[in-house]
Amino acid sequence: MISKPVIKKMDMNTDSAYDLVLGINTGGTYTDGMLMEYHTREVLSAHKSITTKRDLSIGIESVIEGIHIEDPSMIQMVSISTTLATNAIAEKKSKRVALFLIGYDPDLIASYNMKRRFATRHYYYFSGGHDLYGREKQGLDLQAILSKVSDIKHDVDAIAVSSYFSPLNPEHEIRAFKAISGICDLPVVLGHHLSTKLGSVERATTAALNASLLAVLKEFVIAVRRAMQRRRIDAPLMVVRGDGTLMSDEFATQTPVETIHSGPAASAIGGRFLSRIDDALVVDIGGTTTDFALIQEGRVTVSEEGATVDGYKTAVKAADLLSIALGGDSHIAIDNDGRLQIGPERVVPLACLAGQYPLVKDHLKRLSRCSRSKATPESLEYWFLLREPKAVNQLKTDREKILVDLLSKNPMPLPEILKALNLLTVKQIGAEELLQREIIGKGGLTPTDLLHTEGRYTSWDRESAELALNIFSRYQFKTPGEVRQRVWNKITETIVHTIITFLSGQTLNLADMPQEGDMARWFFYNSLYAAHPHLETRFRLQHPIIGIGAPADFFLQDVADKLHTDLILPENYEVANAVGAVAGSVMVTEEILVYPHISADGFEVLGYYMQTGEGRENFEAVGDALNHAKTLSHELALGAALRSGADNPEVIVEVQNDGLDTYRVQARAIGNPRLGGRK
Amino acid sequence: MKWVEVDTQQAYERIRKKITTLALAPGSLINEQRLSEELDLGTTPVREALKLLIHDDLVFITQRHGLYVADINIPDLEQLSEMRISLESFCARLAALRADSDDLHVFEALQLEQAKIPSENSHLLLDLDHKFHKALVRAAGNKYLTRTLNHFFDLSQRLWYVAMPHLDFLSASVAEHLDLVDALKKKDADRAEQIMRDHVKGFYDRVRVVLEKKG
Repeated sequence: MISKPVIKKMDMNTDSAYDLVLGINTGGTYTDGMLMEYHTREVLSAHKSITTKRDLSIGIESVIEGIHIEDPSMIQMVSISTTLATNAIAEKKSKRVALFLIGYDPDLIASYNMKRRFATRHYYYFSGGHDLYGREKQGLDLQAILSKVSDIKHDVDAIAVSSYFSPLNPEHEIRAFKAISGICDLPVVLGHHLSTKLGSVERATTAALNASLLAVLKEFVIAVRRAMQRRRIDAPLMVVRGDGTLMSDEFATQTPVETIHSGPAASAIGGRFLSRIDDALVVDIGGTTTDFALIQEGRVTVSEEGATVDGYKTAVKAADLLSIALGGDSHIAIDNDGRLQIGPERVVPLACLAGQYPLVKDHLKRLSRCSRSKATPESLEYWFLLREPKAVNQLKTDREKILVDLLSKNPMPLPEILKALNLLTVKQIGAEELLQREIIGKGGLTPTDLLHTEGRYTSWDRESAELALNIFSRYQFKTPGEVRQRVWNKITETIVHTIITFLSGQTLNLADMPQEGDMARWFFYNSLYAAHPHLETRFRLQHPIIGIGAPADFFLQDVADKLHTDLILPENYEVANAVGAVAGSVMVTEEILVYPHISADGFEVLGYYMQTGEGRENFEAVGDALNHAKTLSHELALGAALRSGADNPEVIVEVQNDGLDTYRVQARAIGNPRLGGRK
Repeated sequence: MKWVEVDTQQAYERIRKKITTLALAPGSLINEQRLSEELDLGTTPVREALKLLIHDDLVFITQRHGLYVADINIPDLEQLSEMRISLESFCARLAALRADSDDLHVFEALQLEQAKIPSENSHLLLDLDHKFHKALVRAAGNKYLTRTLNHFFDLSQRLWYVAMPHLDFLSASVAEHLDLVDALKKKDADRAEQIMRDHVKGFYDRVRVVLEKKG
């Protein structure tokens, strides 16, 4: 009688102990996938393909196909990390947003030069907002807001609203939302939904970025769902947040800003998981960006301050990491001062473009026979049609129409485009919109091409890469070998510089002309190239570097050598970010603020407010308010975690004193992902 | 099936738009397979979306023929019009009594918007009319009324499109909003109710003429 249930239980265990999970990482350049057994964490197969930006599902589907899943119905969860959001922001390809600032002081913003931090050029000030006790500071000027909406609604894709002290009292944001959605159909994002922290500038930036990413993430989730459907995978879909935790696809489409840094966070988690090293610096090199994260005692360090992306400081909780616009497909060019420049723009490598369009190769051959002065580095920049514009009215100017027409059959080098349009400079073309909307793409010389010329990486057309490098070198009166060495050195310098400044928190300006007697700069170069006859200097990184991403093998050995540490390339390092996508837990955080209700004259505490998202309740004693807040936040977090696909989540409630008699009650529900919808 | 919410919603919105703009003709058969190819969405979200549209009375299901787009016919129009005439005028009455200054700002903004629309642009006028009605519902502040009227909006939106080629009256019809805003500002509930009654009735009278001509 006793043994029976035991046997049954064991049977159940063996049944449920085999759960396949599929991790996918859609980067700006490559899409990686890997199939893993969740409990033993054994990687069964992996695959890598080119990210197809015009339709991400193509890249995802080819990954799923490449993995040879024997029985797709066995898959219990699909989880995705994506640098999509980070890339969209870094490459300024996110949607256009109008930011409405309610109760912000324009003079204050201007005096601290903070306006550039808003992540959009279209920001507008309106009177309104609350004070630090949640009292209305000024009446809300709804009329001005609505009139601005009428003016700009055809020029933007979304609207973000942030009002002063909205986490304490979101009334003005909510009223603005209702009114704006009454007169236009654009999506509207509210600051208090995204951050309960009081940094008004960060909140505004976060709201603006979230608005700019809504459509990007929604299209992405739908693309993945579609690809899953075609492969008959019926499983929950999770998206990795910037701190490495997971959220359901539905949450992700509402708060896309939380996926900022999700790619690097996942690759750091994956790098640690695959290497089993608890203290290391993880460096992930992709096509567009290189990301840095520190692992300490087995955990990815999380920045409580808020993530910074492309120089924009946000209120998004994310792994403490740094992302720079340097990757295998960074554009190699000559800047206005004649200096070599790598990135920040990502272009299609010429070896790849020439593989798709044989005409590009013919053109490169012809160019290599031209005189030096004709074969400029600019003539190696090709523009091509990424996708047909859906409708003619998507093209606003006649020049846009002519340009699309010009490129409709084959890519064209930049100088020929200028000639055809009778223009002198790139700016005059006015193609920013077409580039931003991914109707036109660019191809050019990249580190990936240089790897082709060395025969180290040979996926595409090596001959075209060689032609291009020869043309580029000849223009500078250098040999291809010299240019290549200069590029590799510059990449090493950039990565070492980033590691040093990232870990030390210090700045070191290498871009400007050197100042006389600049010790820091001398130290830096002397440590890399041992130039001084008598003084030897060096940086030594105390932890190994874990290399992640396809070009890691090519770029990081020199970096590790210069930092006198080891480079570790774990098994499956090319797909570590896909591994990291399934290694995280599902987490939902709910916060409630409790703060004093102050009399109009400001001298008397009348009671305490408990401010949840939309509503607030009044309590006489702070203890009652806090107790209610604890219970409520617990319930909210638990419910949201279950909705978000957590299995039996654990809830931790913490109360923080924010000063000024204000308390932040935070409930954090964490659990492993629920596989295949099993209870 | 419960994991497909995001693309089901997408499918729902896009199919509904096809129906309300008559891209899917009233009374036509629905081919799930073709629809899912056309929208480039899976068959599951399309099927789920169609279920939701059955609830919206925009899609009908028959034992013999399967799914088809709800037809537009005169008896239906009569039933719809008597509901809307009475409910919308009632809604206007409530709105006149309850509209706060936020609501009035929205009405004023819509009014300004209207002034900018060229009278021959039926699509924009139509969209604006829709927003006026929604604002009115919101100002009335009754959630049951909101739910009921939003349902009717969707159904009658198709009538606009049916009548669109014959809409020489559209501009004049939308112009009635101006009087309405004036009545709302003055909190004149009787007048608001009367304007709305005439506005909705006038619309149905004209659509009826179009439908009868079509036979």
